[in-house]
Amino acid sequence: MASVPAFLCALSVIVALVSDSFVALAAFSQSMDSDFTFTLPAGRKECFYQTMKRDASLEIEYQVLDGAGLDVDFYISSPSGQLLFSDYRKSDGVHTVETEDGDYMFCFDNTFSTVSEKLIFFELILDNMDQDEEPDDWKEYVHGTDMLDMKLEDIMDTINGVKSRLGKSVQIQTLLRAFEARDRNLQESNFDRVNFWSTLNLVVMVLVSGLQVFLLRSLFDDKRKVRT
Amino acid sequence: MVSVRMQSCVLSLLLLNVFYSFVSPLYFHIGETEKKCFIEEIPDETMIIGNYRTQLYNKQTEEYLPATQGLGMFVEVKDPDDKVILSRQYGSEGRFTFTSHTPGEHQICLHSNSSKFALFAGGMLRVHLDIQVGEHANNYAEIAAKDKLTELQLRVRQLVEQVDQIQKEQNYQRYREERFRQTSESTNQRVLWWSIVQTLILVAIGIWQMRHLKSFFEAKKLV
Repeated sequence: MASVPAFLCALSVIVALVSDSFVALAAFSQSMDSDFTFTLPAGRKECFYQTMKRDASLEIEYQVLDGAGLDVDFYISSPSGQLLFSDYRKSDGVHTVETEDGDYMFCFDNTFSTVSEKLIFFELILDNMDQDEEPDDWKEYVHGTDMLDMKLEDIMDTINGVKSRLGKSVQIQTLLRAFEARDRNLQESNFDRVNFWSTLNLVVMVLVSGLQVFLLRSLFDDKRKVRT
Repeated sequence: MVSVRMQSCVLSLLLLNVFYSFVSPLYFHIGETEKKCFIEEIPDETMIIGNYRTQLYNKQTEEYLPATQGLGMFVEVKDPDDKVILSRQYGSEGRFTFTSHTPGEHQICLHSNSSKFALFAGGMLRVHLDIQVGEHANNYAEIAAKDKLTELQLRVRQLVEQVDQIQKEQNYQRYREERFRQTSESTNQRVLWWSIVQTLILVAIGIWQMRHLKSFFEAKKLV
């Protein structure tokens, strides 16, 4: 009698192992996203790959945060090698792909620039990666409060709604952070530029004026008088 | 009593699924001596967990298989002041964790510890990487088990952590914006000052040149 729940438990554990999908975890995270910021040296190309399932969607958003003209080449190709999108020297972009099974490759290309390295931020948002299983299957194993079942479901739904909206807030925050980082980097490079060129200007001016005076004097110092 | 058993069963399910959740992160290729760095801009007191998995190209079977035991990755993390806060070697599959103490740009660098150049056999090492920041780094199955939370409590706890993270990020955003504004204002001031100073210097140099040359010519009895 007491072994029935234990048997059920063992069975569910085995099912979870075999199915290799996040049954319970899916209820926590319907869409996965990850963002990375990296430095792309001058004249280099960096490629990243993402394994996708069929009928899911992949959204990639990238921005160039720092580096000379703030532009980079970008392209994304399907598992069969077909070029899906291609951006030429853009400073930011967003692309959504309805996916099939396989590894999608997307690359950032800085080969057109010989001296400046770029700081690139990109964010991947994957949706519907877990359409195979029912998120509510595991609820069958929770018997708990029968009387409050309906109420509990409502509360759960509300909480799920709040969670997904908060997730969206986090995404927007990440975006804002990237924008702000780009503007700040721009301003800091302006600052450095102003400092550098001002100092150079000062030095050049002083040198040139000294040179002028010296040259003029040297014209008259060569033991020859212009006028007698 | 039965429900408690059920709950622990659900939790063990959760635990297992969390363990198997490392399914399809991003991957990229890295050369033998190549170092790949990623930058994470985070507020302070934020935990970051990085998971990675390596695969080596097998020429015989022409596919990527999990790397041999001897091959490891060297992980180095620098804080915004360029101080190294984590510098460790992990195996071919590993997880590294650190908590930020100062807000700002942290740099996470990975390179392989392979000293034998033939090991990669001309191919590349495939590294699957996943970096989780702040609230995403929490292991809720563990928290639920430790604090003995019901599912509802766990969900609410997660919401609270999420909101905490958002608030921390907003505070950090405010600090960054202040720095940004300071830099902008300083640049603006410097441009203005420099223009004025430059004009004065030009005028002063002009006057000096004229007077010097005039006295020079007078000395040489040319004027």
